[in-house]
Amino acid sequence: MTERANKATALAVIWLILLTMPYWLPYVGGYTELGSRILVMAMAAMALNFLLGFTGVLSFGHAAYFGLGAYGAGMTIKYLAPSTGLGILVGVVVGTLAAAIIGALIARLRGVYFAMVTIAFGQTFYFITFRWNEVTGGDDGLTGWQRQPIDLGFTTVDILANDKAFYYFVLIFFALAAAGMALILRSPFGRTLLAIRENERRARFLGIPVERHIWMSFVVSCFFVSLAGALYALLNNFTDPRALRWDQSGNFVIMAVLGGMRSFWGPLIGAAIFVALQDYVSSHTENWMSIIGLVFVLVVLFFPRGILGIKRRRKAA
Amino acid sequence: MTLLRVEGASCKFGSLVAVDQVSMTVQPGELRAVIGPNGAGKTTFFNLISGYITPTSGKIFLDDRDITRMPPHARIAHGMARTFQITEIFPELSIRENLRIPVELAAGHRLKPWLSSAEKSAVAATVDGFLAMGGLGAKADRLVGELSHGDQRATEIMMALALKPRLLLLDEPTAGMGDQETYDITRLIRSLHKDQKLSIVLIEHDMRVVFHLADRIMVLAEGRTLAEGTPQEIAGNAAVQAAYLGNAA
Amino acid sequence: MTQLIALSVFNGLIVGAFYALMALGLSLILNLSGVINFAHGGFLAIGAYIAYSLMPYVGFWGALILAPFLTAFIGLIVERFLIRRLYGRDPLYSLLLTFGLAYIIEDVTRMIWGAQSVPFQVPALLTTPLSSDFFFLTGYRMFMVVLVAIAVGALFLILKKTRLGMRIRAGTHDLETVSALGVNVRVLRNLNFGLGIYLAGLAGVLAAGQLGLQPTIGTSLIMPSFVAIIVGGLGSLTGTLLGGLLIGVASGIATIYVPSATEAIMYVIMGLVLLVRPRGLLGEEGRMH
Repeated sequence: MTERANKATALAVIWLILLTMPYWLPYVGGYTELGSRILVMAMAAMALNFLLGFTGVLSFGHAAYFGLGAYGAGMTIKYLAPSTGLGILVGVVVGTLAAAIIGALIARLRGVYFAMVTIAFGQTFYFITFRWNEVTGGDDGLTGWQRQPIDLGFTTVDILANDKAFYYFVLIFFALAAAGMALILRSPFGRTLLAIRENERRARFLGIPVERHIWMSFVVSCFFVSLAGALYALLNNFTDPRALRWDQSGNFVIMAVLGGMRSFWGPLIGAAIFVALQDYVSSHTENWMSIIGLVFVLVVLFFPRGILGIKRRRKAA
Repeated sequence: MTLLRVEGASCKFGSLVAVDQVSMTVQPGELRAVIGPNGAGKTTFFNLISGYITPTSGKIFLDDRDITRMPPHARIAHGMARTFQITEIFPELSIRENLRIPVELAAGHRLKPWLSSAEKSAVAATVDGFLAMGGLGAKADRLVGELSHGDQRATEIMMALALKPRLLLLDEPTAGMGDQETYDITRLIRSLHKDQKLSIVLIEHDMRVVFHLADRIMVLAEGRTLAEGTPQEIAGNAAVQAAYLGNAA
Repeated sequence: MTQLIALSVFNGLIVGAFYALMALGLSLILNLSGVINFAHGGFLAIGAYIAYSLMPYVGFWGALILAPFLTAFIGLIVERFLIRRLYGRDPLYSLLLTFGLAYIIEDVTRMIWGAQSVPFQVPALLTTPLSSDFFFLTGYRMFMVVLVAIAVGALFLILKKTRLGMRIRAGTHDLETVSALGVNVRVLRNLNFGLGIYLAGLAGVLAAGQLGLQPTIGTSLIMPSFVAIIVGGLGSLTGTLLGGLLIGVASGIATIYVPSATEAIMYVIMGLVLLVRPRGLLGEEGRMH
């Protein structure tokens, strides 16, 4: 089989699995909400990987924009108007705007320093939601609101009571996000990002304004991360400061690395494994932190290229 | 109008003066070689011209436009391109992808979210042209990181050419190459200069190459201009022989 | 009014001293090995809990001396078997590994010593106020500031005067040359890591006496340490010290006037520094790449 046919088959399998997930998940010990959570986390991990794997820039603070998306959506529905669509829109706008401002401050930084500054900035928003009790609910989280049914004019889809309907609602956004990111990565602009990842000096001396492109990549990445965050709040009908704390950022990174950060779909696989494991472990033992921590250590020591990375290496050998 | 004019450029790193009051004028269509012993400041001088470093003092003009403080990417937009002493390429991409990126940049596609099929085939045809020119057609889909030094060097030069420069800066294009590869590259540079009238400034260690190619030669020693002139003048210059050619052997 | 300002500045200095002590350890490791040690807060907790466990046998003073050394010893082992494998690789991997370690350490301390806060008794000598006007000047606070000052002074002296210290400084500047001169870089990095963890352990004992002791004690202190390093500038220990004190005092003042901005203020300072001077107050040019 040619590589092209292989890719088409893999793509068909991925979408078949995603499209049927709510129907077989219960038979393997899952539940529909878990499926939705995997989709949301996968979207966030893929968005992070847009920056990490395809621009070569290490952000350890993406939870901030995820959380801003979540709070933007939740607070809009709670305080402004009971509309799911408006909530998502506001969440995405808030998250992307914050990323555009902070991205402009840090696009000049590189490597470890960039990572450290993104972590620190991420915490800023954590403390804001944590401290601003009256509005955000503080440590207890933002409660007293729900996602609203979608009015399509001719019919109303009840994504609130029907969790399968909500899964497919999320899946539509996931498909749009995946298509959007794939389109950008295949464009001339996407190739300039690869160029920056591969060799920043060469990229600069081909005439690419490197800082500006890193900033744009950061904003695109955060756009999709805040979309994921908004959907995450809708999924739980709730959000709390932990959604934007540093450990959440670390989780996104490990999902991308676990699945394989040089591959477009790697983070989806990483997210599926990580979310399922987290769900299982946290309901079966009190010491879930040790186990998750061990996953981090083992991945770094033994699977640094991730699951899809191993496959690629075999092919090369 | 001159193409490139450097006026008394200096570059200091702390107390070390790497380039000291160096001036140079390059006319359109000229091939200029910059030579000098190790540590003479040749690469630093190149870095000043291409914008990798900003000079401590002095000015640099391209087409009489002051580019002294212009960032590298903007200089490239004004028609400059360069290669590096240690080959700078995109190792985990194929040769074809390595070339596609500068071809698309030169065509002004940098920010486009997609290309029309006409644009795509134009890009592909241009890429094929450079693959053929560099003798890389057979290996086009292999990762550059896996190829020989000579092929990597050829890829880098083709990438620079794909930018459609008016001034090409080559930093030791034959460094680390075998005789056959050196010959191929020399022939390529000669043809770019003679047939396509491209203006070129090159740093080179191999004197056969320099005297074969250059219209004019500038000799740097300890950061200063030691001599400048035609190959004949340089070959007959006593100071150059003493300071450079004498100990080059 | 004067008293209030003095209080807030002094409080800030104490907090800043903490931040600095922790950030200096982080900075040492980051400068020489390029590793952001996310588990630094975990080591701080380990130091505090070891001191807590030792106190019944050797008393506060004994624990204060022994616990940091034992913590450093654990640090040496962790470096030898885990961190060392990641040198020279993408910083992503050391970040993820120490991130995982932070999880594990927090969980293990919880397993051993419990999730609840435990009492950490400091000698009565150190808890009495020194002056009735300045009620906040408890002996313990003075003691902490003095001890941090001694520790920082000793650190700079070690780096300046001892052979190990000079090698660490030289290695921070140019590791290849140091290696070419015949210094065993593996041993150097190992000892340097231990030195950094020693400071974390010491900070842990001091913090426990002031804040009380629970498994998350380190987590709340690690972010300000990052900010201290960024504000002070990568590659400069003096910068780190300055950064720690600066954000400490700033948040001390904010606590009095705008309590809800206690944490936010240091991120604002960080943003301003990055805007005006991306490499930090005393950072070396080129380090940020």
